[in-house]
Amino acid sequence: MQLNEQILKEIVMQVLQGMEMPEAAPAKKAVSGRPMTIVEKGEARPGTKSDEVIISLAPAFAKYQNKTIVNIPHSDVLRELIAGIEEEGIRARVIRVTRSSDVAFVAHDATKLSGSGIAIGIQSRGTTVIHQKDLPPLSNLELFPQSPLLELETYRAIGRNAARYAKGESPTPVPTKNDQMARPKFQAKAAVLHIKETEHVVPGSKPVELEVQF
Amino acid sequence: MAIVAGVDIGNSTTEVCLARVNARGEKEYLSSSIVKTTGIKGTTANLPGIRTALDDALRRAGVDMNELIQIRFNEATPVIGDLAMETITETIITESTMIGHNPGTPGGIGLGVGKTVTFAELDRMQSGDKVIVVIPARIDFEDASQAINWAFDRGVDVVGAIACQDDAVLIANRLDKRIPIVDEVTFIEKVPIGMLAAVEVTEPGRTIQTLSNPYGIATVFNLTPEETKMVVPIARALIGNRSAVVVRTPQGDVKARTIPAGVLTIFGQRNREEVDVESGSSKIMQAVERVQPVVDVKGEPGTNAGGMIERVRQVMSDLTGQSLERMNIQDLLSVDTFIPQQVRGGLAGEFALENAVALAAMVKTSRLPMQQIADQLTSQLGIPVVIAGVEANMAVLGALTTPGTDKPLAILDMGGGSTDAAIVTRDEKVHSIHLAGAGDMVTMLINSELGLNDLDLAEDIKKFPLAKVESLYHVRLEDGTVRFYEEHLPPQVFARVVILKESGMVPIPSEHSLEKIRHVRREAKKKVFVTNALRALARVAPTGNVRHIEFVVMVGGSALDFEVADMVADALAEYGIVCGRGNIRGTEGPRNAVATGLVLSYSGGGA
Repeated sequence: MQLNEQILKEIVMQVLQGMEMPEAAPAKKAVSGRPMTIVEKGEARPGTKSDEVIISLAPAFAKYQNKTIVNIPHSDVLRELIAGIEEEGIRARVIRVTRSSDVAFVAHDATKLSGSGIAIGIQSRGTTVIHQKDLPPLSNLELFPQSPLLELETYRAIGRNAARYAKGESPTPVPTKNDQMARPKFQAKAAVLHIKETEHVVPGSKPVELEVQF
Repeated sequence: MAIVAGVDIGNSTTEVCLARVNARGEKEYLSSSIVKTTGIKGTTANLPGIRTALDDALRRAGVDMNELIQIRFNEATPVIGDLAMETITETIITESTMIGHNPGTPGGIGLGVGKTVTFAELDRMQSGDKVIVVIPARIDFEDASQAINWAFDRGVDVVGAIACQDDAVLIANRLDKRIPIVDEVTFIEKVPIGMLAAVEVTEPGRTIQTLSNPYGIATVFNLTPEETKMVVPIARALIGNRSAVVVRTPQGDVKARTIPAGVLTIFGQRNREEVDVESGSSKIMQAVERVQPVVDVKGEPGTNAGGMIERVRQVMSDLTGQSLERMNIQDLLSVDTFIPQQVRGGLAGEFALENAVALAAMVKTSRLPMQQIADQLTSQLGIPVVIAGVEANMAVLGALTTPGTDKPLAILDMGGGSTDAAIVTRDEKVHSIHLAGAGDMVTMLINSELGLNDLDLAEDIKKFPLAKVESLYHVRLEDGTVRFYEEHLPPQVFARVVILKESGMVPIPSEHSLEKIRHVRREAKKKVFVTNALRALARVAPTGNVRHIEFVVMVGGSALDFEVADMVADALAEYGIVCGRGNIRGTEGPRNAVATGLVLSYSGGGA
């Protein structure tokens, strides 16, 4: 596929359209996720209970952006992650990290606040990682780098696996699809979404505790 | 002064012993070496390995190749073993009467008995109806729990639920009443609708009490004594589960069927015995003992047993390049084992541990072409190569260099393919035998019982101890002790059961606990090595009585195993035998026995 200027412009236009009117077009499946309210509760504190897993949101997730790179609503993504954790009998806690938009740091900052030492980091475009507090930031337990290939079932499974790590079990890594065309097809869009996310980074800021309600 | 080299070509390793012999025939050991055997034992493909091993030993001793006056080979015993396995039971569920896959996270707690209804029908149920709702895929957990709550409000007595997705806890957390929910039922559309059913879930860490008990099922469904007899296999299949569903259907049943596997005919020198493979390994072994010595084994043509024996023959005929008719099976070791297999007719991909019989067979072939290897090596190096003696005699000679041993002495050589034993009496007579079943069989048992489908992994599990990685900085070893690390461990081993190899940790990609894997490993070793050690010693013992052997020295690869030698020594201790790992020349451990024996048998001159 040739990525000439014309196509690039079109993609960028599409993306920008999607972002400028997040609430528009309720008929479109893309943004018809379950309604969700997020309340910010001040600085996130380290957890003491070992039966919790933190879901750490990147700066723009469900705030300035509302769907992933393949138009899955953020509310549904978050709901599935929480459901996966709850099904395993573990508590989910949600925070937002604003000092970085890098999914590794978003997750790793959270692992240090998580009672179990396990956290899931997620970017607005959908890229996800399961992290553990003793690992270096750029390492991970499970990484899901191909955001266009992640579906709701995958997010449920990611939540489930994170919870099982917290329980000290040895889950089989979440199976993911692989598509070598995903990269060329979505590269431009992914880049734009990442830039849009990074715009909301506040250097040196503290993570924020969130209360999520569906 | 003369320098001689003893070279032992084994199935897996080629070993060299180098010694200087003075005029009085006294030997001074210079060095030894060990390398992997190249090619199949007894073929000219071994030459590169022999060269490497020789060079290695010479370099260590600081001796030049042309100082060697003789290289001594052993007459390798031409025995080869092969393995086969056959499942002899199977479990079949008819009419979808039972769901027993034991999902990781069922929801709620309790026992519910009612009629099965589809999720769509739930709205039409009347007040007072006792129902178990069957929730198909694609129903969100919130919608499902809401519908059930509405049904509660209308007075419908929803007593349990069966779900397709992994949603049980999510649904249970949102219900007004606590009901048992079993989830992850893959083929939910096959659950019989409109039938009386029971769903049971217990607390974590406990097992179901009612549905695993035939009288429990009888109470729940009001069964007659005749019908109660019919549900015994269902109850048995559910023992040990945390959750289960039983549906009462007109003809439903769970059958544990024995697969007719065919008859083995074992030919002895005087008589012959026929034995059914499905009667289990102890019956087969009794038959083998009755006809000793075994001259051949045949399987009933057209049955699994026949196929199994023919396969073994075929493999060995291909390997040796000798005709199929000359492949006579000289020994058989059969072991009972389990294979996890998917249950036929299961709704949720249930697995059952089916009984299986594993067989190791040993074939004696004609002489291996050792002379060819010797001739080629002579022409390459210009050093005379002598085929010096039978492997067992050489091994005994070598084993006697272990400090603290004396004649009569028996050696146990536990290798990969066969277990060999030899005994030397006070009057220097050596008697040796070869039995089927050794290290490779242990690997096969581990592989099948854990359902690994990966022989390399099974081999590693056999050879190295286990540990559970509890955090990135510490592991718990299999004896319960903890080891800490300064640097964090690689993330792929986190929370996993790992094999502690010298090169690092290898995670085992399965859900088995450390205890389970360890148990399977130790049992497999006991079933093969301890059984074979006793069998072998009984056969070489002068009176057929193991007690009449005083010293037993274990040599060969499996003697290096971290627990086999202890297990065998433990088992032999009750016979009052001194048994232990060999320590050849006081320095080599259980290795290098044959090569040392070859050097010892050198008496100067040509032969």
